[in-house]
Amino acid sequence: MLTARRHVMAAAAAVVSTTLLLASCGGDSDSGSSDGKTLKLWHYEAPNSAMGVAWKEAIKEFERTHPGVQVKFEEKGFEQIQKTAPMVLNSNDAPDLMEYNKGNATAGHLSQQGLLTDLSPEVTKRGWDKKLSAGVRTTSQYDAKGVMGSGKWYGIPNYAEYTMVFYNKDLFKKYGIAEPKTFDELTAAMDRFVDEGITPLANAGAEYVAQQYLYQLALSKADRAWVDSYELYKGKPDFHDAAWTYGAETFADWVKKGYISEKSTGTKAEDAGVAFIQGKSPILFSGSWWYGRFVAESKVDWGTFLWPGSNMTLGSGGNLWVVPKGAKNKDLAYDFIDITMSKKIQNLLGNNGGVPVAADPAAITDPRSKGLIANFNTLAERDGLAFYPDWPVAGFYDVLVSETQKLITGSTKPDAYLDAVESAYDKGVQAP
Amino acid sequence: MTVTVERGGPGDRGGRGSRRGPGSRGGDVVEAHHRAKKPRRPRDSYALFLLPGVLAFFAIIVVPFLMNTGVSFTEWQGVGTPKWTGLANYRELMDDSEFWASFRHSLFMVVAMAAVPTVVGLVLAAALFDFVGKHFGSRTVAVLRACFYLPQVLPIAVAGIVWSWILAPENGSLNEVLKAIGLGGLQQDWLGDPDLALYTVMGVMVWVQIGFPLVVFMAGLQRVDPQLYEAAELDGAGWWRRFWHITLPQIRPEIYVVLLWCTIAALKVFGAVYVLTKGGPGGATNVPSYFSFTTFFEKTQVGYGAAISTVLTVIILVLALAGLKLQTRAEDAEQGGVR
Repeated sequence: MLTARRHVMAAAAAVVSTTLLLASCGGDSDSGSSDGKTLKLWHYEAPNSAMGVAWKEAIKEFERTHPGVQVKFEEKGFEQIQKTAPMVLNSNDAPDLMEYNKGNATAGHLSQQGLLTDLSPEVTKRGWDKKLSAGVRTTSQYDAKGVMGSGKWYGIPNYAEYTMVFYNKDLFKKYGIAEPKTFDELTAAMDRFVDEGITPLANAGAEYVAQQYLYQLALSKADRAWVDSYELYKGKPDFHDAAWTYGAETFADWVKKGYISEKSTGTKAEDAGVAFIQGKSPILFSGSWWYGRFVAESKVDWGTFLWPGSNMTLGSGGNLWVVPKGAKNKDLAYDFIDITMSKKIQNLLGNNGGVPVAADPAAITDPRSKGLIANFNTLAERDGLAFYPDWPVAGFYDVLVSETQKLITGSTKPDAYLDAVESAYDKGVQAP
Repeated sequence: MTVTVERGGPGDRGGRGSRRGPGSRGGDVVEAHHRAKKPRRPRDSYALFLLPGVLAFFAIIVVPFLMNTGVSFTEWQGVGTPKWTGLANYRELMDDSEFWASFRHSLFMVVAMAAVPTVVGLVLAAALFDFVGKHFGSRTVAVLRACFYLPQVLPIAVAGIVWSWILAPENGSLNEVLKAIGLGGLQQDWLGDPDLALYTVMGVMVWVQIGFPLVVFMAGLQRVDPQLYEAAELDGAGWWRRFWHITLPQIRPEIYVVLLWCTIAALKVFGAVYVLTKGGPGGATNVPSYFSFTTFFEKTQVGYGAAISTVLTVIILVLALAGLKLQTRAEDAEQGGVR
């Protein structure tokens, strides 16, 4: 009798604890409903960024135009989505709409695995393709192998991004240096700063900034075919050609000359940005993603110009709206994307330091934003968006960081640097 | 009515007559009823309480580990269908210089997180207990102990960011202090110089880790009979001799525990490397856990990343079991000596 009771108790305890355990492992099982009353939305933009501001307004607009529908917005971290997206999209917890990183190793990879919805019919129906220029739409389309530039539409960007030279007008004025219009004038300006004991270029060897300097130097000797070969695998890139050799050698030379600090291997992008904001570095070559922050935080007078002597610079369409394959309210997701592409939201994005893809130029009133967008239009007109150096291969970012660090410390020579990069590229690229 | 209760020993559930030993042929009705049954051991009842823990252990540790091991025999990008490749990932590991370099760095971390903190923690604990306590009072000891323990309480992400500010090559506090005291020639790119970065991370880890052995050793010293120290002092033993002949032998069990814990922590170290250097510059501070992480998530070589973490887990398990065995053997020998 007692024994039987004990067995019953043990069984009950096992059932209860297993249930609790499974419940705890399962986490939030609310994976959204398909009743057409909820739009589950994820993105990772800061609330005060241009995209954050614009999308907050888009949510309001969506709820106004969709009475009875609630937007269930969950703020995520970039890293969080980057690292867990494949697993999340494979589960029942996938949102209806999410922001995701563009490029072969990210959106391309997910599209190849069948985790994203093909948006092509909606793109045609809603006319999104008419609003996106050729350079911007490259990262929206992926072929069967997950390579960007052609094939089906798997994502829609609301904004674009590109790199530029940010310069401290106060420091330039102090040392009697005019805004450089040519590459020679830029190097002359940097020589002048070095003479004054100032390291001219803010750099971050531990993150993307250093590799982007080098890539930009290579781009100044490159053309569209060179970029397509490297980024889109249209032909085999030669890592010892004139452009790559010039990029690596000039970068190493700039470290020797003191344009770039040899003590910048361990510094992060944040350090480089803050050094510019605080007026410690006269020049920073980086992307439009800094723009809003510099407007908000910089105490110095600053301006921007495109990298002189180069038709091409780093840049692309921004991160993408993607609709997971398992999304339960796809029509609502398409409606939301449509709102973010409307003039109202695009103009808001443009007036808050972003680079809109479909704004009304006349509606952009902020003078700095006008300049930012004008420079982007210049680039778009000359087909000058050359994407980013770490895109072609998954995990390439770490390789480039590591090898560029060695170039800064002098522990590797330009030729060996290019060998290492080539080896990692060849290993990672699944040639079409 | 008077009820007489004989008190039983441990385990007696009292109240129903006198305690009887196993096999006793008791006279009351209930016992007669259960005569044929084995006596109920307390362990049977406790097993029930262990069940949720055991289930959780299986669900959270054992099952994922087995799944991870399974994945390590495949080529997989994290989504889609894994392709069975057998031991290919392990064969690749054997020839991967980056993998072996990361393990070499792990040994440096063992020095920084286990060996050095244990030695320094021992000396500090003994000094606080035997010297500072006597001369400055227990409150001073408590404050100092808390100060040493603080880095253990700080999240490593916070500590790492603060240290990266301190160690920054331009305008970092350390370089600025060196310049201020006329030692500008000693300024370094602490985290950016490939020849120096690993030692710098080791230094930070010593700082992080030192509080743990200190607190454990001070707790251990509480149970040492003060008369031992007094007798040694009367016999003319100095501080070092007391430390060597009393402190060390008396807290040997704590030393084993600390060394084992800290060695495992050193082999698993991830957060500090992630925050301070991301394995750089040029892989100079890469460690297996970070290497596994980047392989898994950045390169999306999930199978290969799983193989790295499987090897790491096996090594940690072997070390932990060997450490526990050594500790048990030493304790048995000690108890034998006492008897």
